[in-house]
Amino acid sequence: MKIGIPRGLLFYRFYYLWKTFLEELGQEVVISPPTNKPIIQRGLTYAVEEICFPAKVFLGHAHYLKDTVDMLFIPRVVSFHKGEYTCPKILGLPDLVRNLFDVPADRVIDDEINMRERSQVGWRQGFLAIGRRFVTNERRIAQALREAEEAHRRYRRRVREGVLPEVMIDGAQPLPPRQEKVLMLGHTYLINESFINMNIIQKVHEMGFSVITPDMVDPRRSRRALKEIPKASFWTFSNEILGSTLHILRSRPAEVKGFIHLVSFECGPDSLVGEVIGRLFRREKDLLPYLRLEIDEHTGEAGLVTRLEAFVDMMRWRYAHRESYVSPSCSS
Amino acid sequence: MKATFPHLAHLDIALGVLYPTLGVEIVPPPPISKKTIEMGVKLAPQNACFPLKVTLGNFLEGIERGADTVFMAGGVGPCRFGYYGQVQKIIIEDMGHDVRFILLDHPRYGWRQFLDAIKVMMGGRFSLVRAKRAVTLAWQILRFTEELENYRRSLRCQVEDKATLDTMVEETLDRLRSVEEIRTLANIRDEARANLRDFPRRQREGMIRVGIVGEVYIAQEKRINFNIDRLLGDLGVYVHNSVSTVEYILHTLPFFRSRDKHEAWQLARPYLNRFVGGEGIDSVGSTVRYAQWGFDGVVHLYPFTCMPEVVAKGIMNQVGKDYDLPILHLAIDEHAGEAGLVTRVEAFVDVLERRGKMGRKTLEAIGR
Repeated sequence: MKIGIPRGLLFYRFYYLWKTFLEELGQEVVISPPTNKPIIQRGLTYAVEEICFPAKVFLGHAHYLKDTVDMLFIPRVVSFHKGEYTCPKILGLPDLVRNLFDVPADRVIDDEINMRERSQVGWRQGFLAIGRRFVTNERRIAQALREAEEAHRRYRRRVREGVLPEVMIDGAQPLPPRQEKVLMLGHTYLINESFINMNIIQKVHEMGFSVITPDMVDPRRSRRALKEIPKASFWTFSNEILGSTLHILRSRPAEVKGFIHLVSFECGPDSLVGEVIGRLFRREKDLLPYLRLEIDEHTGEAGLVTRLEAFVDMMRWRYAHRESYVSPSCSS
Repeated sequence: MKATFPHLAHLDIALGVLYPTLGVEIVPPPPISKKTIEMGVKLAPQNACFPLKVTLGNFLEGIERGADTVFMAGGVGPCRFGYYGQVQKIIIEDMGHDVRFILLDHPRYGWRQFLDAIKVMMGGRFSLVRAKRAVTLAWQILRFTEELENYRRSLRCQVEDKATLDTMVEETLDRLRSVEEIRTLANIRDEARANLRDFPRRQREGMIRVGIVGEVYIAQEKRINFNIDRLLGDLGVYVHNSVSTVEYILHTLPFFRSRDKHEAWQLARPYLNRFVGGEGIDSVGSTVRYAQWGFDGVVHLYPFTCMPEVVAKGIMNQVGKDYDLPILHLAIDEHAGEAGLVTRVEAFVDVLERRGKMGRKTLEAIGR
């Protein structure tokens, strides 16, 4: 059977896991092409107007795939970390696709993967349910899941080492590492999708900085750093962003020069967690440069470049005149 | 300790009875006004949903009036409401106010904090008997305020003398503020019910009926949603609101279940078969229910950028198509203008009227 995976939202996190799992079960996996204008256009036309831009892009991909494949692979990933959720939009994704595009329910793989209450058990049950759609032998499903998890671990390890997902999945040109770095905060589907973030990683690289993403921060360290907050949020991605910020803020590696926070305009979790991050920064005695960029379908490339350039100039200026720099919180 | 709390419809009446009985001194925030919204909007994150901004404004106005403690509820997600308290706490701290923030959160974030919060909210002492009496009374009052609002909503389009109806309801609400015993409440309730039941009505044939669905705050707080109940009522529309604080609280508590919500969830199943946070699934389910009751239209109220309701919105359109039911989506935030909203609602009612005249496709005709 031909199974289509739309390229969006959780794709850059779980691509190898899903692909290996489905292929081990003898299915043919089709992924939609890298995001382009026509696909975004589909998303803008058919999706709900108020949903966030990455979700529109995802829906565009799903719309692109829906007639060319036998089944759409949109598992309902309720949670992939104990006690936490993904975002409500991801929770309702299979239903949105079904209702917006009139796709019959039996053509959407929408089994629930929920680690919130039962952790590993919920994870395994989700994949068992998906596997049972294709084979009856549960041992074979478990075997496929083991293979898939192995591939996923390999993939995550390489991402942590600093390889960008697009390099691995699409064979994009890897960028040589630079001495100075910035921490690029944001959800995986914004940072790793170079078309919708207007190639920001390469732009920052050309300005002289390598990029660290939350995926490249050791998850154990970022989780430990998160303990500083009285109540961490209940969204996994936001916690990863908050945790890696706090980890870098506390350990202050010399090569990290600043933070760029990429937010999509309609993003619910980031509207709150972004505020918390912003206010944590302002409470610091020794501030680090922090830039917040909001992206949606109306964002112009020129505006983005101008802001990036200004930010880089500001960083350079700040480190060149460190002694004379007075933090705004002291002066006011 | 002087505590303040956020507004939500007539919650302040119930809490105003509850806390003094428990021995907690309270400073209720002044009614939501332009100023409240301005104060909240100025400090809250720009893209946060509207209820966060308004409740932040409530807290600040409460603090202005001398409160030194803030009572707030938390949650477990995935709706943003569960994180309001944390963000508001940081904002108020950064302003330099010396305020205690008591967050009643799910015990999953620490039993100790949970019990401490309950203890403070109960006036520092655990007395089961006293607490039970006070809570029962406050609960009954909350229930009754919602009943009154329901009367007002459904009667408005049928009565000639709308002003008297308003005064009658407002007076009863005012009298509730000084209730101290269940018996007094029962008297007020009986009297008000009798009065409202005997209220002179016009007999009207073929009233347009509209249901309200949406997010619990926006759909109930009339100072925020431009009093849409009244607006529709004055246009001669029978209004029913599926959103209720009572049901919301019932649903949050363990061992209780809201029958109303349970039913809505069942009805939503073919369209959305999972809880997506907030009232997303309830909105879908209630829309289906209104369609089955034969209502003429549904008004969907939610804060702009609300995550669960945006998901619900995409799905509700399909419900509308299947049942041939017009739905008006109204996203509300600080930029919503009254004139624009009124125009849209009036146009919507015109559409419903016209459809009624032309003979609405009956449900049987489309095979349901």
